[in-house]
Amino acid sequence: MPDESSRTDPVQPASVLPPEHSGEGIPEPSAYERTIGWLASLPWWAIILGVVAVAVLYSMLTSVAYQRVIRFLTDDPQSSTTDLFSVVQIVGEPQSIIGRYVGETEDSVQTVIYNLLDDVIDHHLVTQTGFIESESPAAITVRTLDNQLITIPKDRIETEERTEDRDGVRITLTYIDRVTVTGIMTDRDDDTMTIRTVNEETTTFSTDRILSRESTVIPCDTDANPGCEDREVVTIERQGEIITGTLNTLSQTNMSLALPGGDTREIRQSDVDYFHVPTLTIAINQDRADQAIAPGDEVRIAFVEGTDITAALEELNSLEDIPVPLQYADGEARAALVSYPDIDAALEATGTGEVSGLVYLASDEDRLAVADWMDENPDSGVILPTPPRECQRGCEVTVKLVDETISGAVLEETDDEITVQTVAPEFVVLDRDSILENRRMEPGVCALNNLRGCNAGIFLTLRVTFIAYALALLIGLIIGLMRVQHNPFLYAFSTLYVEVIRGIPLLVILLYAGFVVSPWLRDNTPISLSDEWEAIIGLAFGYGAFIAEIFRAGIQSISRGQMEAARSLGMSYPQAMRYVILPQAVRVVLPPLGNDFIAMLKDSALISVLALPDLLQLGRLYVSRTFRAFEGYNTVAILYLLMTLFLSMLVRIIERRSRLPG
Amino acid sequence: MSQNSEPIIKIRNIHKRFHTLRGTVHALNNVTLDVMPGEVVVVVGPSGSGKSTMLRCINRLETIDGGSIVVDGIPLTGARNINKVRAEVGMVFQSFNLFPDRTALGNIMLAQRVVRKRRRAEAEAKAHDLLVKVGIPEKADAYPGQLSGGQQQRVAIARALAMDPKIMLFDEPTSALDPEMIKEVLDVMMALAKEGMTMIVVSHEMGFARAAADRAVFMDMGQIVEEDVPDVLFSNPSHERTKLFLSKIL
Repeated sequence: MPDESSRTDPVQPASVLPPEHSGEGIPEPSAYERTIGWLASLPWWAIILGVVAVAVLYSMLTSVAYQRVIRFLTDDPQSSTTDLFSVVQIVGEPQSIIGRYVGETEDSVQTVIYNLLDDVIDHHLVTQTGFIESESPAAITVRTLDNQLITIPKDRIETEERTEDRDGVRITLTYIDRVTVTGIMTDRDDDTMTIRTVNEETTTFSTDRILSRESTVIPCDTDANPGCEDREVVTIERQGEIITGTLNTLSQTNMSLALPGGDTREIRQSDVDYFHVPTLTIAINQDRADQAIAPGDEVRIAFVEGTDITAALEELNSLEDIPVPLQYADGEARAALVSYPDIDAALEATGTGEVSGLVYLASDEDRLAVADWMDENPDSGVILPTPPRECQRGCEVTVKLVDETISGAVLEETDDEITVQTVAPEFVVLDRDSILENRRMEPGVCALNNLRGCNAGIFLTLRVTFIAYALALLIGLIIGLMRVQHNPFLYAFSTLYVEVIRGIPLLVILLYAGFVVSPWLRDNTPISLSDEWEAIIGLAFGYGAFIAEIFRAGIQSISRGQMEAARSLGMSYPQAMRYVILPQAVRVVLPPLGNDFIAMLKDSALISVLALPDLLQLGRLYVSRTFRAFEGYNTVAILYLLMTLFLSMLVRIIERRSRLPG
Repeated sequence: MSQNSEPIIKIRNIHKRFHTLRGTVHALNNVTLDVMPGEVVVVVGPSGSGKSTMLRCINRLETIDGGSIVVDGIPLTGARNINKVRAEVGMVFQSFNLFPDRTALGNIMLAQRVVRKRRRAEAEAKAHDLLVKVGIPEKADAYPGQLSGGQQQRVAIARALAMDPKIMLFDEPTSALDPEMIKEVLDVMMALAKEGMTMIVVSHEMGFARAAADRAVFMDMGQIVEEDVPDVLFSNPSHERTKLFLSKIL
């Protein structure tokens, strides 16, 4: 057969060309040259935007405030953890009980065990007293001879042997004894699981704080535990920690300090040995206080050079019962702050009317300075509108905690610091075969080596989006296929779904899922949805309608000839759909599907209405705690932006990959 | 060709109406046609005469409104598994209808794997043989978009042949091709005819009809007007309508 086809050959892909044809003397541009060329081809505004973006990102990433927001929004991950899971496991090991059986009725079992078999159990344990215990048909309760009541559910009884002798019926039960192990899984392999049942507690402190120290050696019980070493236990009387920070709140039972590093520390008053809170004094000139003041007037207020007055001014501002001229607020009067070298000079100036008043935050030693001065100058005209009192908020305090005694093993000791393990960790190694019931297994703390434990913020947003999108694709595919059927029921049902869901705001659908569907399911079925699944189902059903329309359009965009060709080859309708139409339709709908994915990532912010700690919800929480709205929402916005930019890049790559040659 | 007394396709008095907004079109009006095994039948006729519709009825891409069609002993109207019948009847379309997301090889293998449940190696070997047969073994890994029209149509023929059909239907296989590509397709069809394949070809290629066809059928207005040996029908038609039509296309 003649082949005239070579004439109409399409251009071969470049990759199959022999290399000598690829560049006639022109060397392949280097990566650097290509980058420069690419940069040069960008429009001017893109370059400016890029430079600005890099500058903004750099300043954000190097700013402590932003780092703190980002940590908060990413569930505060640790770098590494051994707490992979917190677990509750039920393990069992076979046990035997031997005794005498008295009898049972249809609804109860009466068992008497008054004689353990002499040849099995130590002789001295045996007594001749018997006890009768009644139990429901589900379990047998036996009283052993050491007077212990043991209730054994019948389903745990492995073997049961009854023999009659002259005293009655002797019963031998083998059953599985259950032990509950609760703790943190730290290691796992195919056969065993290591669970830390008691967490280690250590404390590291400066050796300066040691008041007294004793050490004793606990000898090892080599009989029970061969190969062990003697342990040294130290008992240290430790001076209470001295903490200095800014006072956030002060109450009868608690105080909260902002530490210089940016952390806050809650301290119970019962742990406090003593603390110094500065005294706040506000003094005003009697004459000035009586004068009216016009908006915009300047009120001169004295303070002592070098003292911290921010807390004092705040306090002054919150006093509502002091005379008008000292109201330090916008619109009423402007405060002009005048500094004086010491408190006496400031009081003098107040007395002469040079300033209208003064604010003074006194440390412990000179808290009485104002009162002393007023005693000496009774006619100065200076009055105290409120008695001097302890600062409530914002000033620097020093807290000394009570001394305490600790004991434990010394882990590490240097000249400056000592680390004492006050509680030793305890581990249980479980044979995985012996685990009867996996009661609970929850991911441990969020860490870079245990991302399963990361549940909040960006992780929740990403997880909910991915799962919901996968579900939405499934729903969309099914509904989309139903939309192209001729079967009137399928068509009507799918159209109803699409029209109803598409016509309801996604927020309303989410609220329905969370507050209507989920409670109904909980009440009427054994299904109990977590908040996260409510959100996932809401998002999936909401987006399913849009994705169904995308799939329908994609399927209908494939020419009828494709279906006819497939059918004429003997394929059934489902086969033709599966092997011919859908693969082509999916290529067509990739771009809109990618769009919907990005849209869903953004719309996942709506799930915060279900009280889920997603990215937005955590951002709002952060802002409401710190009042740093600018940094908080900036970071939220930029994290969403980074995710969507990354996704749209991914979508573009997938689209390019799926393009057909020719 | 074959002297079997039993026709492999028995079309009896079929009717087909299309309901459109402008009214009802009687696309097939009492058409009766028998095709014997191994016979090559060429169908000619003006546009809208029902040639393609008749072809599409034979593998039930269109349902018929009256009459009966029996293919290889199976009546189509009651066929419970129409896909079995379709697998025995290969069809080649005017617009090729290759699957654009599969290579030439993939196009030929797909139905073998899905419908005939052949193993991959078996299907691939068969596909290669067929590509050799239609003369483009070097295009096995090319996508339809990289092939010329003539090459695409030859892949489409190979795809239909891969199912080992007893009957091949060609619906204007060369109408969408540039003139210089028609020959390569016709050569393949000619070779098929010589092998004794039962074929119904809707085409106006007189050369092919004269060389390969046992019978030519002229259709107009949904009816078979005249049928005869191609030489006779083309050079000496008995009906006025046939003469008129032939005078226009020759």
